[in-house]
Amino acid sequence: MLLTSSRFGSMKVDDQRAIQFPKGILGFPRHKQYVLLQPNEDSYFYWLQATDRPELAFVVTDPSLYVSSYRVPLNAEQRIEFGIEATDQVQVFVIVNNYDNVFTANFQGPLVINVHRRIGHQLVLTDRRFTTRVPLVELEEPVEAVAV
Amino acid sequence: MLVLSRLRDETIMIGDEIEITVVDIRGEKVRLGISAPRQIQVHRKEVFDSIRRENTSASEVEIEELKIVEQNLRRRHSRTRLQRS
Repeated sequence: MLLTSSRFGSMKVDDQRAIQFPKGILGFPRHKQYVLLQPNEDSYFYWLQATDRPELAFVVTDPSLYVSSYRVPLNAEQRIEFGIEATDQVQVFVIVNNYDNVFTANFQGPLVINVHRRIGHQLVLTDRRFTTRVPLVELEEPVEAVAV
Repeated sequence: MLVLSRLRDETIMIGDEIEITVVDIRGEKVRLGISAPRQIQVHRKEVFDSIRRENTSASEVEIEELKIVEQNLRRRHSRTRLQRS
């Protein structure tokens, strides 16, 4: 497919890379198809780009890089609904935000993606240990290299 | 908004498949029981709104902002390597 992104321009993307979000992402219920982009191979961050709206994209990252104990509980009904049979079929991402120059991630609303079936959902977690704004790293102005 | 009064143990139907029952009333607090098909998400509104707001704000992040963060992350990692050596 031809993917048009306001941030990255237009590019050809294999149809099989598309991820369906049957319920969309909260706040954006009408957009149900996304593609995961990785502009830099050594980056911690991916972009989840909507295929039908060039400006709509989210920075996402793997939460286990920051909180190794983070687990997304899925009940039996959710497992059936998402078609998940084994944990290795699931990729969890959290959406990243820049809030007052601090990069945070939404651990309360993780994205759960069934990698084989290419279907994703945004979950709403009730565990109050994790908030919508878990700081990842502080945004600082780049400084000159200092001789050690 | 449709406003209905219910006593304890009474129920409201929303469409054919969603039921809301007043399970308990204690002072200011009402306990509600909700029956809905599993594909319909049911959540406290504040949580839903909070995630929606966060998503909307997150959708505005631009490439330049991310570049600075990645630069800092790399610098942090190389600083750690320097400290160890």
